[in-house]
Amino acid sequence: MRTLVSTFGPEDLERVITAMRALPYDRMVLVGEPGADMSEAFSQLKSVEEFSGHRLEFQGVSGTDFLGLVDDVSQVISSRLRDHETGARQDVSINISGGSKLLGDAALFAAFRMGVSAYLCDGKVVKLPVVSGATPRDRFTSVQTKLLGVIGVGCALDEAIERMKPGSRQASERVVRELKKASLIRADVKEGRVFLIPTDEGCEVLRALTLLGSPG
Amino acid sequence: MVVVFGTLGFRPKSLIPTLKSTPGVDKLVFYCGSDKSDPDAVKKVADARQAVLDYCKTMRIAAEAVDLEDPFDFKNIALRIRRDLRRHRSEGREIGIFNIAGGTRPTSAAALLVCILEGIPTVYIHDLTYEEIRLPMLRMEYSQVLSNEEREILRFLLNNRDKEITEVELAARISKHKATVNHHIKNLIAKGAVRLDKHPKDARKKIVRVEDSTELLLGETG
Repeated sequence: MRTLVSTFGPEDLERVITAMRALPYDRMVLVGEPGADMSEAFSQLKSVEEFSGHRLEFQGVSGTDFLGLVDDVSQVISSRLRDHETGARQDVSINISGGSKLLGDAALFAAFRMGVSAYLCDGKVVKLPVVSGATPRDRFTSVQTKLLGVIGVGCALDEAIERMKPGSRQASERVVRELKKASLIRADVKEGRVFLIPTDEGCEVLRALTLLGSPG
Repeated sequence: MVVVFGTLGFRPKSLIPTLKSTPGVDKLVFYCGSDKSDPDAVKKVADARQAVLDYCKTMRIAAEAVDLEDPFDFKNIALRIRRDLRRHRSEGREIGIFNIAGGTRPTSAAALLVCILEGIPTVYIHDLTYEEIRLPMLRMEYSQVLSNEEREILRFLLNNRDKEITEVELAARISKHKATVNHHIKNLIAKGAVRLDKHPKDARKKIVRVEDSTELLLGETG
């Protein structure tokens, strides 16, 4: 099952049709501000989709918080990346042309985070260079992501090393250095103890890993 | 020397906060442009452009306004921004931050894409509060996800993009076994860099086409 996710606003009938004609898909999900699904454009798209026996889905997202929108769109992608029954990975692509500019940019960011094909369908169709093998899950080793998960919102160095067992202390300290070098964590000293705290980038990797789920 | 980059639409307020919040800014490079068939938009962008230039003059910040010929031409905007960023870097200048809040949708998206590909610190300005929102960019040279053979194939295809080349012809032109080329082409399709189109005269053949935005993926060496 191939899913086409498209950002959408009431004025975006042409942009969505351009994407529908250019990109292969089986089902479509529109992402837009609440109320966009009450528009004439949505009604037309809905009736077109019903001709192929599919229900047009709509996911309302709102707000002016860029990273919140990135999370919302990522969640839409994440929930369509796996077949609910077999667990097999499914194809998802995203058209970022519709809706507000903020939503389009957030959708582009989400495409990179989730490693799905992204397109700009505004008159002509441009495939954006999103590389599927460059998500945070592909870029960090399992030990690095495990330590990042152990650190979570922050924890003491000794506690993190204890929770990384049966790995040795030296091995865990090496991974701490790797994560620091990658700017994913920083160290703070409080009352004589070293605490590891994720940076914004580290939090981003953690969010992406959660949404991407297990590999396969 | 710290250089701030930005995209500008109708509102100087979506760009100027970044000049205030970035310490030691010496230069601003900003991209603007409007739909020339819309006189109202042309005037609003011109007013915003002048306001930013006036602000920079008062603050003794050098300013470079880049007037985009077509602010809806995503690919060429992205290529222009990438070229400018690299030029400033090669001149030894520090890229402080890129503000992607203003401008047309393709301009803003092109700037975001280049920032992701180049690992440039990026901010958005909140529409209502004018607060800066820093985006958590993961530094990575995306061109590194390409093997040497994949780069060679892409370079060849980019240099011959006006020709209709099949996998077999490609293998012959770059002196590689067709099975090897087939393997790399499959990988490049998975990476979104190329696609296979039907041959116009022979339905059994497929033409290898490079995607429009692949130039952006290739990186420094092209």
